[in-house]
Amino acid sequence: MAAVTQPRSAYLTRWFILALLAAYTFYNLGPILWLLVSSFKGRADLFAMPPVWIFDIDTSGYESVFGVGAAAGTASAYGVVDALINSVVVSSIGTVMAVFLGTLAGYVCSRYDFRGKGDFLFFVLSTRMLPPVAVLVFYHLMFARLGLADTRTGLVLVAIFANVGLATWIMKGFFDGVPKEVEQIAQVNGYSRMYAFIRLVVPMVRGGIAATAGFCFIFAWNEFAFASILTTTKAKTLPVKISAASGATGIEWTQIMSAGVVLIIPVLIFFYLIRKHLLMGMTFGVLGRS
Amino acid sequence: MSDALLELKGLKKSYRGKPALRGIDLEVRPNEIFALLGPTGAGKSSTVQATAGLLDLDAGEIILDGRDVTDIDPAGRDLSIVFEGFNLLPVLNVFDNIAFALRSPSFREDEAEIRKRVQHTAELLRIAQHLDRDVNTLSGGEKQRVAIARALVRQPLMFLLDEPLSALDLKLREGLRSELRQIHREQNSTMLYATHDYHGAISIADRIGVINHGRILQSGTIEEIFERPANAFVGRLIGSPAMAFFDAALDGDDIRIKGCEQILPAGQFALRSNIRGEFELGVWPEDIRITDAGSGASSASVYAVDNRGFECAVQIDYGAGLFRKVLEEGQLLKQGETCGFRIADGAGFLFDKSSGERVSHQIEGAR
Repeated sequence: MAAVTQPRSAYLTRWFILALLAAYTFYNLGPILWLLVSSFKGRADLFAMPPVWIFDIDTSGYESVFGVGAAAGTASAYGVVDALINSVVVSSIGTVMAVFLGTLAGYVCSRYDFRGKGDFLFFVLSTRMLPPVAVLVFYHLMFARLGLADTRTGLVLVAIFANVGLATWIMKGFFDGVPKEVEQIAQVNGYSRMYAFIRLVVPMVRGGIAATAGFCFIFAWNEFAFASILTTTKAKTLPVKISAASGATGIEWTQIMSAGVVLIIPVLIFFYLIRKHLLMGMTFGVLGRS
Repeated sequence: MSDALLELKGLKKSYRGKPALRGIDLEVRPNEIFALLGPTGAGKSSTVQATAGLLDLDAGEIILDGRDVTDIDPAGRDLSIVFEGFNLLPVLNVFDNIAFALRSPSFREDEAEIRKRVQHTAELLRIAQHLDRDVNTLSGGEKQRVAIARALVRQPLMFLLDEPLSALDLKLREGLRSELRQIHREQNSTMLYATHDYHGAISIADRIGVINHGRILQSGTIEEIFERPANAFVGRLIGSPAMAFFDAALDGDDIRIKGCEQILPAGQFALRSNIRGEFELGVWPEDIRITDAGSGASSASVYAVDNRGFECAVQIDYGAGLFRKVLEEGQLLKQGETCGFRIADGAGFLFDKSSGERVSHQIEGAR
């Protein structure tokens, strides 16, 4: 081939890298693809070996999940809509609050010196060091006593508490990357510190805020341990609901697959919405110093 | 003296127990450029920031235009500031950066006036063609021009410049420095200019304050400082090359210099009667003559030659130490050559060995 001007070794390296990337992509996306395909399979096709790729589309899983169509009003209506709403409400409010508090705390820890700052930062991080199992019993007792058991409010509090430490640390890192001259310029030129923070510094770290929100949302959305212990019926979140999807006729795999797809979609939507800011945040660079 | 525009009295500041300012006293007079000259970590930036109100002082007083502003917010001081590196707000374009102060609650102007003033200032600094640009696309020199434009556009009481040109390369720095000087002359402005660069300081400043370890060691015109350096450190920082230093000791009526044959009469230094022992002898290199060896001159050899084309600087090894000097015109020396040198009559200053304070008083005595 005359068109190939690269040496043979570079050509091979290229193909090797492509093969690696393809394998990695398959490793990551394969299960999701399988989940998506399986959610439309009937019980017989689901476990066929070798897997069948051409099959009759069975939407009973989705009908059951949303309680519509043939499943409407029947005992097989699985009804994840309430759980989905619970998950969205708990994760969204939890994320917004954790990021809001983490942004304020991160800014203070980045810019001001106060007694016990190091201890404070260690403390907020230490809240993430405990495995949830170690404290679940106490949460359960406390929430029962406070009337927070099986409530969204309770789960929102858990989501905030679990994420605010992480949010504080990540945001402190981003604020550390903003030169202190930004506030100084604003102050000397006749503005308040509050103006500098809200109008100048926060826009500079919006990528960081998006990244932090991303982390918090994933943690809150996937949180299982607390939600499974602290909820019984009303406030069940989607992961908890899915885990309990075994009916009278055994484990309803089609329903679980359909519910799994429903579980993934909000995360995709969330990251689609913040994608523009995210790239900037994920690289952990704020803005090059001049 | 109360004719100063800015008066700093005993400013003290420590960071986590480490003193940065140990009692800064200085005065900046109206319409002068006062250079704060000192090495890195001397307290220049802290002094500038304290003046701007960006630092919580431990002690001291700041009087600006006759008003005690020690406890006044930065916004209430009517100052402009230019930093060394980061000056421009990345969320605003060039125009909005320059107009920044004019839109603030403290210094608000109407938009038509802002447009006029920004345009005028941008033309003055030759950045009018960049007004619509994103500040991240500007070069280092352009960024500093925009920063200076923002400082100028408001016509404040006084400008604070904290190493404003140090991040630029030599050519840009010299160009912008003379432009600053030009603008200063046209606008009759007052500037406090912090720098670690001796050449930069003397070429722009009317008066210089030498700062080290959080104290002003001396302030005055460059001529005053040359005439009577207050401290050995001042001699080390001032001059090009800087002062030559020798170990010296008082021996009866003589000052004997370590490693040198030449003996100086102690009388010329007008020492106080209680002063005795060992000193540091500092001599401006211009007061040292390189001669042939012998005939009462101290013997030495040429350690290194730095030929700059238009002049030739040498480093002289006199056995007990080294000093640098620019040769007089027509004089030629080669590396390794033996030579002699003489300190001129009446030249040199004696400094205390530990404190660095000047202990000789010949100039005062002469007056």
